[in-house]
Amino acid sequence: MIRFENVHKTYKSGSDALRGVSFKINDGDFVFVIGKSGSGKSTLIKLITREEKPSDGYVLMDRFPISKMQSALVPVLRRHIGMIFQDFRLIESKTVFENVAFAGEIIGMPPKKLSQMVEIVLGVVDLRHKAQAMPLELSGGEQQRVAIARAMVNDPKLIVADEPTGNLDPQTSESIMALLEEINRNGTTVVICTHDSNLVDRMKKRVIEIEDGLIIRDELASGYCGHREAKSNVEEGEKK
Amino acid sequence: MSGRAFLNSVREGFKGIFRHPLVTVASVTTILLMLLLMAAFFVFSANVRSIMKKVSQQPPIEVYMKLSGTKEERDSVKIFLEANPGAILSYEELTPEQNYHRFRENLGSGSTILDNFDYNTYLPYTFHVQLTDPSYADEVVIYLEAIPGVKKVMQERSVMLFLAEATKWVNVSTLLAFVVLFLISMFIISNMVRISVYSRATEISIMKFVGATPGYIRLPYVVEGAIVGLISAICAWGIAHLAYSELFDMMMKDVSGSSYYSLVPVNSLTFWVLLICLVLGVVIGSVGSGVAVRKYIMV
Repeated sequence: MIRFENVHKTYKSGSDALRGVSFKINDGDFVFVIGKSGSGKSTLIKLITREEKPSDGYVLMDRFPISKMQSALVPVLRRHIGMIFQDFRLIESKTVFENVAFAGEIIGMPPKKLSQMVEIVLGVVDLRHKAQAMPLELSGGEQQRVAIARAMVNDPKLIVADEPTGNLDPQTSESIMALLEEINRNGTTVVICTHDSNLVDRMKKRVIEIEDGLIIRDELASGYCGHREAKSNVEEGEKK
Repeated sequence: MSGRAFLNSVREGFKGIFRHPLVTVASVTTILLMLLLMAAFFVFSANVRSIMKKVSQQPPIEVYMKLSGTKEERDSVKIFLEANPGAILSYEELTPEQNYHRFRENLGSGSTILDNFDYNTYLPYTFHVQLTDPSYADEVVIYLEAIPGVKKVMQERSVMLFLAEATKWVNVSTLLAFVVLFLISMFIISNMVRISVYSRATEISIMKFVGATPGYIRLPYVVEGAIVGLISAICAWGIAHLAYSELFDMMMKDVSGSSYYSLVPVNSLTFWVLLICLVLGVVIGSVGSGVAVRKYIMV
């Protein structure tokens, strides 16, 4: 469970990235965070992974009070989060298998168990046959699937994806989203930051829209531009 | 950090040496040159200290007995000198006859004018005293002057003070040089490693995102630095040993080992040079690397 309570984030330059953001994401949710460039959505993701600290307010993920957390505990928090990036961030000198195993090695997973886990997650992303390939030998979609496998290998409770389809063609983007949806169906919470309106419209998941550091829309089963019929969570909150 | 994660990290450190061979060679060369300078300074200062010690133990104090002095009075001087082994390294009693012969030797071909010299009438008994340390001189002189039968005690005070002061300065400057060279090498090695760290910035950022602790990220670099330091230390010791052996053979060809200006034997210094190179090399390499990576591992 992720909870933001009146969270503000002001950078050293003086720019207000978030100006009093509050929302809650339950375990097993699938959430899109959308908004224009500079709206504050990346900052929101960075606060979840504790790349940034909030200037004010309260951020909680499960038992981790992120806003007040000591630096020494940050690695422990991140072991519960799988991260996926637009630029894949694979290590070019390592094979697909080694890239995926890397995340498990770091937390000291026994080699036998790690090897089994890597086989499983490569099976999930349908790349078992490319285990010994180098990242640069793969297509963009395949590289992103390796990144998803790496995010999954430690069996995280939450997967955070920052523009995961930003560098992919529509067809590949569909397959990546289908994969993330499948992972979500198995109980992992998924938070995706994206610009891809087609995907958001088609998947009909919860959408949190941010503009100028404020949440202007938080709708369940919504699209990129919202829908009139669905009840806005924000409005509901205001009535309460 | 679990034991397995620790071993992984150490293994990565070993791999790192071969990952960027040019950076490794540059780092080894840098530390090696610094260690060579330190070794050269150590060898130089050890020799200076040795020479100064030997010179300071030269009879800096000469005790002249009265011409009418008795055997008992000379014995009291001997008793005093033998009772202070901490300050007195050795002493020699010279009879008027021995003094006469030395005097003749010093005059060389002109010594014939002393042929009929009555040394028993004009020359006293003397004592040549060698001190363990020149700083004892003042105290020893005061005691000797107080002994009955002693006419005068001569000491080369300015030479003694210079030697005491010079020994102190050589020690201080050795220490200072070590500190300065240590800091310079740390700075250089830190910048060298930064290049290696920069080229692996993506890997480090991924490590951070998957939950690696700062210690886990830092350890391979520290291990890598320690190995680089170790290799540099062994090379520096080898070069220093060979160079000093050559120098020793060259300079000591016509010099007796007991001469004041003889160099410290190679075998007496080689172990200390090795120890200094190993300790400093490993510390410079590992700490320099650890410092370089610090900025990149902040979570």
